[in-house]
Amino acid sequence: MNHSTSSIPFRENAVKALSNSALRGAMRNATETFAIKRADAVAALPLEELREEASELRLHVLNNLSEYVDRFEMNAVRAGAKVHRAKDSEAARGIIASILQDHGIGRVVKSKSMVSEEIHLNDYLQEVGITVVETDLGEYIIQIAGEGPSHIIVPAIHKDRRQVGQLFAEKLGCEYSDDPAVLTGVAKKILREEFLSAKAGISGANFAVAESGSIVLFTNEGNGRMCTSLPPLHIAVLSIEKIIPSLADLPKFIRLLPRSATGQTITSYLSVLTGSRKPGESTGAQEMHIVLLDNGRSELVSGEYREMFKCIRCGACLNACPVYRVVGGHAYGSTYPGPMGIVLTALLEGMERAKSLLDATTLCGACGDVCPVKVPLPRLLRLLRERRVEQGLTPRLEQNAMAGFGRVVEKPFLFHLGQIAGHVFWPAVKKFGPGDAVGRMPRPVSRTFRERFA
Amino acid sequence: MRIQLFGTCLIDTMFPETGEATVRLLRHFGVEIGYPDGQTCCGKPADSGGYSRESKKAAEHFISVFDRTEGPIIIPSGSCASMVKNHYPELFKDDERMRQKAEAIAGRTHELSQFLVHVLKVHEAGLSGTGRITYHASCQLTRELGVLEEPMLLLQSLNGAEFVDLPHSDRCCGFGGIFMAKLPEVSMALADEKVDTILSTGADTVTGCDHGCLMNIADAVKRRGSAVRVKHIAAVLAEGLK
Amino acid sequence: MNREEIVALFMENAAKIAAQPIRVGDNDEFHDALAEALGEGDSVFCPGLTEKEKAIQIPSEKRTEDYASASVCVDEADAGIAETGSLVFSSKTGRPVQAGLLPVHHVAIVSAENIYETLEDYFSAVGNSPPTNITLETGPSRTADIELTLTIGVHGPGRLTVIVF
Repeated sequence: MNHSTSSIPFRENAVKALSNSALRGAMRNATETFAIKRADAVAALPLEELREEASELRLHVLNNLSEYVDRFEMNAVRAGAKVHRAKDSEAARGIIASILQDHGIGRVVKSKSMVSEEIHLNDYLQEVGITVVETDLGEYIIQIAGEGPSHIIVPAIHKDRRQVGQLFAEKLGCEYSDDPAVLTGVAKKILREEFLSAKAGISGANFAVAESGSIVLFTNEGNGRMCTSLPPLHIAVLSIEKIIPSLADLPKFIRLLPRSATGQTITSYLSVLTGSRKPGESTGAQEMHIVLLDNGRSELVSGEYREMFKCIRCGACLNACPVYRVVGGHAYGSTYPGPMGIVLTALLEGMERAKSLLDATTLCGACGDVCPVKVPLPRLLRLLRERRVEQGLTPRLEQNAMAGFGRVVEKPFLFHLGQIAGHVFWPAVKKFGPGDAVGRMPRPVSRTFRERFA
Repeated sequence: MRIQLFGTCLIDTMFPETGEATVRLLRHFGVEIGYPDGQTCCGKPADSGGYSRESKKAAEHFISVFDRTEGPIIIPSGSCASMVKNHYPELFKDDERMRQKAEAIAGRTHELSQFLVHVLKVHEAGLSGTGRITYHASCQLTRELGVLEEPMLLLQSLNGAEFVDLPHSDRCCGFGGIFMAKLPEVSMALADEKVDTILSTGADTVTGCDHGCLMNIADAVKRRGSAVRVKHIAAVLAEGLK
Repeated sequence: MNREEIVALFMENAAKIAAQPIRVGDNDEFHDALAEALGEGDSVFCPGLTEKEKAIQIPSEKRTEDYASASVCVDEADAGIAETGSLVFSSKTGRPVQAGLLPVHHVAIVSAENIYETLEDYFSAVGNSPPTNITLETGPSRTADIELTLTIGVHGPGRLTVIVF
């Protein structure tokens, strides 16, 4: 994973991805399947009504975020959790490392968490001598492959079964198989040992509940449950906007999240975890820590991009995005890929870093249509493009072309001269101009429609 | 009835036959056509690129040209029509006087297929067509204007032609305005997938309501060496007038 | 919805997500269903906390107190949710909620009167002072992380039997 602040070379990454036929096949298969499953699953819902309610509720939380964070903290502490606030990634990583070091822990099991990716947790813990074992099958696959996730729900979506089989044979020394059931069995056996011997588990959270101080986890494999209930120490890391007001609001999101993500009515497991183990209980970590990551969010939620933080990380916009579908998640070179990823990367990592990512949308609007909480992704993407122009971060040639367009668009005579010039100089433009697009357009005609109509 | 036609810069500069087909079609149904002088471009390319200063200039110019006229404004392009109907009022949200003008213009604007179905009832006229026709549902037309049924009604009504559904008809073809120029490889990959679905239908003609998309699709069809015709819906409908 | 309709909906939805729901009407049927479900396991864990759990007969050579090494866990859920076919387990009664997760076969008993119709019905009953751990279990453990091919029984049980009594 690249932690640098220089601009992500999206076009170069995309070109590389397009020539990878295994990737193209895996992406086509996966996004197609997801799109169909999602459509089937939401068909049974009063979808528009539910989207509207969920959107309003998320917006209400964002409008009152600091109060909700305080309330969540108060109730989580009351339930026995230790709550830490982290201003940025560095602070969050530091807090987690110190908790583990204070307990003398050198190896932890972890369930999938995009926030932990955002703060580059694994690399940092590795640096300070703590081994992290990813336990979600997809995360485990990419961890042993030395890669980052390419999808926020299905991290190894870019790999086909043969690649996983080869990877396992090579790294785990097992016999080659391309049967997902066999491969899953291999991982299960290794990870079961890890779970039973682990002294600490790290998880993310899909939601945090202000009124009860709970965190909520949706998983299918059971690894989330294991990471949070077997080891005596549990550390949950989540970003502050994940809060919902009360447990009574949870059913709405149970109906929307798994359906939008994988087309399931509900995930196999859903855990509501509230504080540490209490007297008389036989479940729950003896010590529970919650790390609340801000990373600029408190400020961002009061600005023009507020609605981005309604996002519940279902990944539906990735599966619907025509660009994501053909290039996959790694081309984005960022923690979060796809339409939501472009916006989040620009907001969390800065415009300089994300400037080329902003090209990676046709503004077709498919992302906005599938979003279960109505994040206006196309509008946010266009808005960010405006800011990119204002900050002078588009190529000089494009700036000049657009300035020229601005000069002639309100002067019909000049506009017409431009059309004539286009016709006359087309062969030269084709030869020397930004040929990629020009070469795919027909030559401007010698007599325009306006002249023919007159 | 008298309408005002906005030709669009793409049709004006590169596809005048589509403009002529639009005129023939509208006149056939007794519509008188005004073509306001001085029209240029709606500003969509600047708008989607984030060049709001330039797109505002285009919008102001468009509004000044059409403000002097009366009657419905007809645009044979989904993305240009959506620019005028949806984005113009948004562009001037902080300028009450201009916003009102923009709203008025937006209220008069119809995308061509919308107008043909809802006002002229062309789908009930029994026009004729030929061959096997499929339809690409362009993004802004479908998602921003909510126009999906109208073009299909028109095509299904053609006597002698067979209409076939295009799988994933509303999936982006990869044109995306400046997207085509900035990420040509991705744009071509998307257009190639679009052509795959077009060829899977066995259609001999693919049509749509946006010349931007059709241009991108036509290029991919050419790269494939296929004989499928790529034609704007106005041209397909006007063929039946002869 | 009346009780029977709620139970029927629960059974229908549990079956849809690959759980094996069984409806029993009396003690004899209950014990028959248990005997069949437990028959294949070589070691069985049962927490023995509720009346129904206490009534379960497990041959002593099969019974184990170590749920991590058991091949079957049989226990009673706090509740069921008809809308999703989910079972609810919580730490409320001192129950080791994780016990149902480790064995390859989970046999869960749910009392018909504890089945809620909707998710709202259940969560409004919980209120905002929940026990440390509430787990909704819906079908067996699953993954689709390799080529979106559904694989049952990843970290959790590959088989979930639900006895509605």
